[in-house]
Amino acid sequence: MWDQRFETILRQHLPFLDPEEPLLGGTSLRDSGLDSLAMVELLAMLESEYNVRFVDEAMSMETFATPETLWSAINDMLGASV
Amino acid sequence: MTNATVFPGMGPCEFTDVAKFMLVNRDARDLLATASDALDYDLFARYRDSDDDYSEYAQVAFLVNCVALARWAERVLDLRPSLVAGPSFGGKAAAVYSGALDFAEAVRMTARLSRIETEYFAAEQPGVVTMSFVRTPPDRLREILGELDEAGEWYEISCYVDTDFWMVTLHEGRTDWLAQRLRAGGGLPLYVMDPPLHAAAFQPLRDRVEAELFASLHFTDPQIPVVADQDGTVRDTADGVRAMLLDGIVTPVRWPEVVGTFQRLGVETVHVCGSDRLWGRVGATVRNFHTTIVDPRRAMSPIRRTVAA
Repeated sequence: MWDQRFETILRQHLPFLDPEEPLLGGTSLRDSGLDSLAMVELLAMLESEYNVRFVDEAMSMETFATPETLWSAINDMLGASV
Repeated sequence: MTNATVFPGMGPCEFTDVAKFMLVNRDARDLLATASDALDYDLFARYRDSDDDYSEYAQVAFLVNCVALARWAERVLDLRPSLVAGPSFGGKAAAVYSGALDFAEAVRMTARLSRIETEYFAAEQPGVVTMSFVRTPPDRLREILGELDEAGEWYEISCYVDTDFWMVTLHEGRTDWLAQRLRAGGGLPLYVMDPPLHAAAFQPLRDRVEAELFASLHFTDPQIPVVADQDGTVRDTADGVRAMLLDGIVTPVRWPEVVGTFQRLGVETVHVCGSDRLWGRVGATVRNFHTTIVDPRRAMSPIRRTVAA
């Protein structure tokens, strides 16, 4: 499960997700309002917060499908940087 | 305070997001009726039944909504711009709203241009597309384009959106390679547009459009100056606006040049009139201006009025 920082940052980029609505692992980020430019802003915030760099496969649209896929990509990068 | 109205370039737009606005809003309804008369078909029905994001009907509907939103903003919010601009497709709405081109003529022009472009690219330059991408600094872009040069591949930069945001036109078969090279450097490929846009290689299309379409259009001097999307120059004559639209076929959009002109002329606020996911949100715009989005959602929301005590 992801940490609170991740959830806070992610929710800022999901205008269609009600604050009271739970953010589930399989929630569709696109349906929750994450469009292309929001994705760019989100990427920059996550890179800054977790000191990682999204490149190669991590930049695919699949990475941004759900909270679970996105958090998994960050975890992979954090693991690789240890 | 100086303000400018910007009509966005066209992007995918859900029919359901704009349908209510087109039917209920007074300005949209009037323009929709005029457009249907000009085209001799029911634009709303054709748009509803079309499943192509860039069909002739979607394009004309986008024009209708952009102009309607600017007129609504003028009527209800008293927004009266000192300048107008329209990157890419937005140039058509800019020509209309500035007073340089009659709305019905612009509707017929948009429909006919869509048909000519479809025919042209299918017959003369099939397999050419335009890819947009972001998070790619100029140095990195030069490296990647250098690799295309070495491979003897043709390409053109079709749009300079921001310092790290571009659109490049190239052969369809190279898009997977380009996407992979972009991602390797942290770049994010966004869309692949077909038909493509804004490339010098489309000169035969420009010539055909000028001969078959623009010869019969009547432009007048604009009442509001138009800032050309390809070079940021201010167009205040009929010929200037006409050339802006025609040259857009063969010259890239340079949004930072438009931003520079706005700054030099003291623009502080930019109102983006249309269904927009790009131009009113990109860094070059929001870093430099107070930016408001005038879209169908806003026009359909109740207006909050301050009541004096």
